[in-house]
Amino acid sequence: MRYVIIGGSAAAISAVEAIRSLDRESQIDLFSDEATPLFSRVLLPYYIAEELSKPFLNFRSSDFFEQYKVNAHLGVKVQELSVTSKTILIEGGETYPFDRLLLATGGHPIVPPIPGIEKEGISTLKTMADAEKIYQLKGQRAVVIGAGSVGVESCISLRKRGMEVTLLEQLGQVLPTVFDEEAAAIIQKKIEHLGITTITGERAIQFAGNGHVQRVITESRELKCDLVVVAVGVKPAIELAQKAGMDIGSLDGITVNAQMMTNVPDIYAAGDVAETFDITRQANWINAIWPCAVEQGRIAGLNMAGKKTLYEGSFRRNSIGNFIGVPAISMGLTRADTCSTCEAGESFQEIKRRTKESYKKLIIRNGKLVGAILVGQTQKAGLYLTLLKKQIEVSDYLPLLISRTLNFMDLLPLIRRNADRFTETEFKEIMDTGL
Amino acid sequence: MKILMVDKNKCTGCHQCELWCGTEITSVSKELTRAIHEQPQPVPRVYVEGKPFALQCRHCEDAPCIEACPNGTMRRDPETGLVYVNEPTCIACWMCVMACPFGIINPSASMKVAIKCDRCRNMGYPICAEVCPTQAITLEERKDYRTKAF
Repeated sequence: MRYVIIGGSAAAISAVEAIRSLDRESQIDLFSDEATPLFSRVLLPYYIAEELSKPFLNFRSSDFFEQYKVNAHLGVKVQELSVTSKTILIEGGETYPFDRLLLATGGHPIVPPIPGIEKEGISTLKTMADAEKIYQLKGQRAVVIGAGSVGVESCISLRKRGMEVTLLEQLGQVLPTVFDEEAAAIIQKKIEHLGITTITGERAIQFAGNGHVQRVITESRELKCDLVVVAVGVKPAIELAQKAGMDIGSLDGITVNAQMMTNVPDIYAAGDVAETFDITRQANWINAIWPCAVEQGRIAGLNMAGKKTLYEGSFRRNSIGNFIGVPAISMGLTRADTCSTCEAGESFQEIKRRTKESYKKLIIRNGKLVGAILVGQTQKAGLYLTLLKKQIEVSDYLPLLISRTLNFMDLLPLIRRNADRFTETEFKEIMDTGL
Repeated sequence: MKILMVDKNKCTGCHQCELWCGTEITSVSKELTRAIHEQPQPVPRVYVEGKPFALQCRHCEDAPCIEACPNGTMRRDPETGLVYVNEPTCIACWMCVMACPFGIINPSASMKVAIKCDRCRNMGYPICAEVCPTQAITLEERKDYRTKAF
């Protein structure tokens, strides 16, 4: 068996580990267009903030490729994928044959078509090279476009470096895909408390400056700046799959089945490039987040190595760590009313509990948890995650779920009742408490 | 490997394990009457909650916290199989907190690290089992279903 993996981040590395757990001998060739291997993308803002130096960005030890017997081709771009001859062509003209292939090509940062976007001093934040570039940029004033997770963390990292930072978001709140208005307001206050100016509901329409960016022009004002970080999202890197004529979904990701296999036998896809079934939306979705990439990479790897394993489905989950200053965790849907996948006969329910410093909201669809937002108190987040992932009927447990005293023991009867939803290991793990 | 088992019929909810865990493991003074005045305040890694029942990390075979950690801070000791937080590299992102099916990882804002039970891996014997007055917490061999062919 010859395995080829295209990509070198979470999904790819997780797939390598899964393959090697079953197949210790076969050849694995890994191709990544990034020269720096094994670093964790989500930690790049920590690098810019000077909180972590390069070695601490790694999520696997530097001898990973030797240890797992992987031929790593780093800084190498794959030009073409031929599904008929089962080969890939890399730059320089070399071809590599494969028996099973994984596309873990991730995403490209979206570069919005705003006039002046090509000016110097403007960067996205996706690669190590981007982080390096932003780190090297000189100046006192920064504008960050887009208040998603990357945007917010970029802001904070630049602020920690002593810059004057403005966060510009075209929608009406910060972290619009992660939180509802109420949670976002709490977090926005924290961000502003750090000395960051936050402008929501306003869009950048032009970048002005003589070669180097000097001003961001919005509909109603001009923001003077020395550098700009553009963080308006990612789109799947589907060029190879598209050229090879593979099936692309309606969200522009590669479509896969529950074994993470594409429409072409022996070719798999995982991570930010893949469109998977979203448990909470009950529809295909691209959940371009770290934990989903790790899960999908593992499922793909196991199937590639011959062990039939089905993916339970993806769902969004985000954690706002200590970096921002208030612990907040959000999973699944954020609002009942804006759910685009509602069908007739479905009942939605939102339960909220608010204190001065904390906020909790649960979103229930047909008696099952499809979303949870926790601000302030987050330690029990994993309990909600289990209920959401396993789509357990929780109607009888709503008072406990919203209460401050929620704990594993009180939830155990419910988990027992739904034992069939857990795998053997998962369930025994839970019962292993001595109960 | 050995894990901590808890007998719910014996657990009286006296919280002795919590007090001792916090004092012995996290405090500087190692003495309860002084530990409660320490800043940041020491915290336990075992939680007496619900029925009552003392719950601490299960050191899962397929540990969701290890999988969720973005920089390999949550680790498994290859010799003992115990899951632990390598505190110097913890960036306090709380991904592990979000993943833990038992809710026993404490996102400590004051210590800026994830705090959880490591089954006293650097000590002779787990403190919670040692101090439990009714011996509800015991150290026992893990059952067979976990044996995995490597």
